[in-house]
Amino acid sequence: MNKRRASNWMKFVLVSAAFVLVLTGCASSKGAGDTGTPKAAAEGSGSSSSSGGELSYALATSPDSLDPGKSGYAVSHRVFRNIYDSLVSELPDGTFKPWLAESWTKSADGKSYTFKLRHNVKFHDGTPFNAAAVKATLDHTQTLTGQARTLIGPFKSAEVISEDTIKVNLTEPFEPLLSGLSSAFLGISSPKALQQYGEQYGKHPVGTGPFKFVSWSENDQIVLEKNAEYNWGPPIADNKGASHLDKLTFKIVPEEATRIGSVQSGQVLAAETVPPQNILTLKNDPNIKLDTAITNGTPYTLYFNTSNAPWSDLKLRDAVRSAVDVDTIVKTLYLGTYQRAWSVLTPGILGYDASLENSVKADAAKANQLLDELGWTKGADGIREKDGKKLTLRYLESSPNREKRNDIAAIVQQQLKQVGVDVKLTITKDTVTPLTQGEYDLVGNSQVKADPDILRNLFRSDRVYGKGGYNYVKLNDPGIDKLLNQGYQETDPEKRKAAYAQIQQYVIKNALALPIYVFPYTVAHSSSVEGLKFDLLGYPQFYDVTIRK
Amino acid sequence: MKEATALKPIRKITWKASVSLRRISASSVFLYAACLVVIFMTACAIAPQWIAPYSPEVMDPNQLLQPPGAVHLLGTDYFGRDVFSLVVYGARDSLLIGVASVLVGGGLGGVIGALSGYIGGWVDVIVMRLIEILMSIPGILLALAIAAAVGPSLFNIVLAVSAGVIPNYARVMRSQVLTVKNKPYVLASRSIGSSELSIFLKHVLPNSLSPFLVMATVGIGSSILTSSGLSFLGLGVIKEIPDWGTVLSQGRGYLTVAWWICTFPGAAIALFVLSVNVIGDRVRDTLDPRKSGD
Repeated sequence: MNKRRASNWMKFVLVSAAFVLVLTGCASSKGAGDTGTPKAAAEGSGSSSSSGGELSYALATSPDSLDPGKSGYAVSHRVFRNIYDSLVSELPDGTFKPWLAESWTKSADGKSYTFKLRHNVKFHDGTPFNAAAVKATLDHTQTLTGQARTLIGPFKSAEVISEDTIKVNLTEPFEPLLSGLSSAFLGISSPKALQQYGEQYGKHPVGTGPFKFVSWSENDQIVLEKNAEYNWGPPIADNKGASHLDKLTFKIVPEEATRIGSVQSGQVLAAETVPPQNILTLKNDPNIKLDTAITNGTPYTLYFNTSNAPWSDLKLRDAVRSAVDVDTIVKTLYLGTYQRAWSVLTPGILGYDASLENSVKADAAKANQLLDELGWTKGADGIREKDGKKLTLRYLESSPNREKRNDIAAIVQQQLKQVGVDVKLTITKDTVTPLTQGEYDLVGNSQVKADPDILRNLFRSDRVYGKGGYNYVKLNDPGIDKLLNQGYQETDPEKRKAAYAQIQQYVIKNALALPIYVFPYTVAHSSSVEGLKFDLLGYPQFYDVTIRK
Repeated sequence: MKEATALKPIRKITWKASVSLRRISASSVFLYAACLVVIFMTACAIAPQWIAPYSPEVMDPNQLLQPPGAVHLLGTDYFGRDVFSLVVYGARDSLLIGVASVLVGGGLGGVIGALSGYIGGWVDVIVMRLIEILMSIPGILLALAIAAAVGPSLFNIVLAVSAGVIPNYARVMRSQVLTVKNKPYVLASRSIGSSELSIFLKHVLPNSLSPFLVMATVGIGSSILTSSGLSFLGLGVIKEIPDWGTVLSQGRGYLTVAWWICTFPGAAIALFVLSVNVIGDRVRDTLDPRKSGD
């Protein structure tokens, strides 16, 4: 009797203790990487020369589809960039070079582009690359609602002029077209495979790229192998022939600690999105190298919903902006590894207005003064009131805690409390409902794109949330609409820059948005991995990678 | 041969005696320690401002990720908040959820079980089948599903955690009531014409309670574990002052650089659950009728 009771008791204690231990993850695993053999994976495969070998790359999330016309996720792009080539290639300075298209001409009215295509290019399934393939790909995007469709803008039709000439017709001039075509979202698919697999094409991608698709096991890994015939690499690559790597494996490892730990232990050779606290420790590890690429588009920004009272008032928004100390937020959470953002565009993009840098500064005294002037007085609980109503700000953020965005919300909440603004925080998986119904005053978002035309989706009055746009601000200003249209129709880059500078200044002047940080895409890799480069959007390029023996 | 048999029982007795001696002293030391832990944590939950050296909301950007030391006893987290103060303040929500879930889940389960057992017949058959259906779903899974469906709030977490424990309480209560309702004193009471309600309230219920009470005591611990698990999985309550499970969850990304952020809340959960179990064990010893009959 006693013994049985004792054993039951012990069982309870052991089970509880085990559960808590699992939760805490065995506290002292500081040296998770020290116990492994860092170079095991590198030595395990491939021939002895500098080419060959397998690169394993740990991704934080899983792609949704490898059909470039269908997907809208950056992670999908990271994978299928290796499978598909594009017509043109965008250089870091924003100019374009030939890739699958040898040359191109734009019509005088800016509504049609004619591309002369490269010869002797073959898809992985043996189908020849030609104008019909380009047409099939572009037509395919119009049947779907992926990122590709946005990138190709006012697409009307694709005309096959001859075997090696294709004409793309637009309904109106669209300056970001080439930038869109340089993206892998508009990478060229094999027309035969598109037809053969139909709906299932996303699981059987076939392109002309340096790597062929081999297999995809859901939430585990995606395997690609070298395309031995490849000799039509992009102009930005050093490599002119087939890839140096025999195999490229993307492992899906969502848990941060596991992902970083597996690079340290040598289970994978590289891992993406290294959290700031690990960046600092990995810098001191001689076996690990860190690469950082700035992503382009819009930085992570908090947008005010200006259709909701009292936040329709500029002065009130300005008070909140003065109360939020962005410098402290960025320094606290990212430990100096992220840059603070100043505008609604990232610094690397065409038209970024550098004059906005340091244009706003945190000033709690000014915030208090503005709030006092507006007649919001502090109540007994320290929260300001006016006409019996409390000053509350509904802050919407999505879970899980991507890039510590939920922690930003927690700090903003504390900082605004200091000046008497009550922040009601909603952190939820389902942001669609509150966004559609307008039940938010402040919401965070970032976008990845190579062209400033992204602002059109955020600020043009018809780009309502839920109807394809992200006008979180609910801005409705004909002047801004006009500037946004000018931005994508204008052919002169200087005029485009001027239009976008005006828009950015308008956004900051009217305190419509609080830019927070520019996301650096950070990759930790074994020091045996060489030649990893990043494109304009911060996407990794594997074509030049070699694994040192 | 004879010598051996003569020796054996002596050895056996000494071994047994020493074990039981050690058990008694060890268990009472455990019990006192457990009581102290529970009293301290309850004090933390009631008046954290008297115990915590800092406010759990104060974020000091100059004191990020400080290891445990003299200024910050258990170190600071990535906001520059004091971990000890977080653990002290976190006790409130954690304990509240634990106790409330037992009250709700145990209360509901107990009432269902007692009534079902006492009334018997087809009511009992149907109610028990429903309880069995509920029981066939793992508790944590049910809690997860409910928490995910209704969204995070303190009330919803209590609901989610208590839903999973209802069947256990119902079954324990029912089996006790079934035993007690055929006892001679109940039959005697009925024979002198007492009403069913007064028999149920005066005789059946009080005599069926003890296993239920033991279960409830231990249940506080497991409810805290479940709710911490939910918070850990991101389905907990998001408040300015996080509960233990939330701190644990938020700190796990920093495990390799700042082990103290999630270790101490984890230890608090472990310690509290352990203590409640020790006390629950003693309560069982005291209330067990078979034990008192020994």
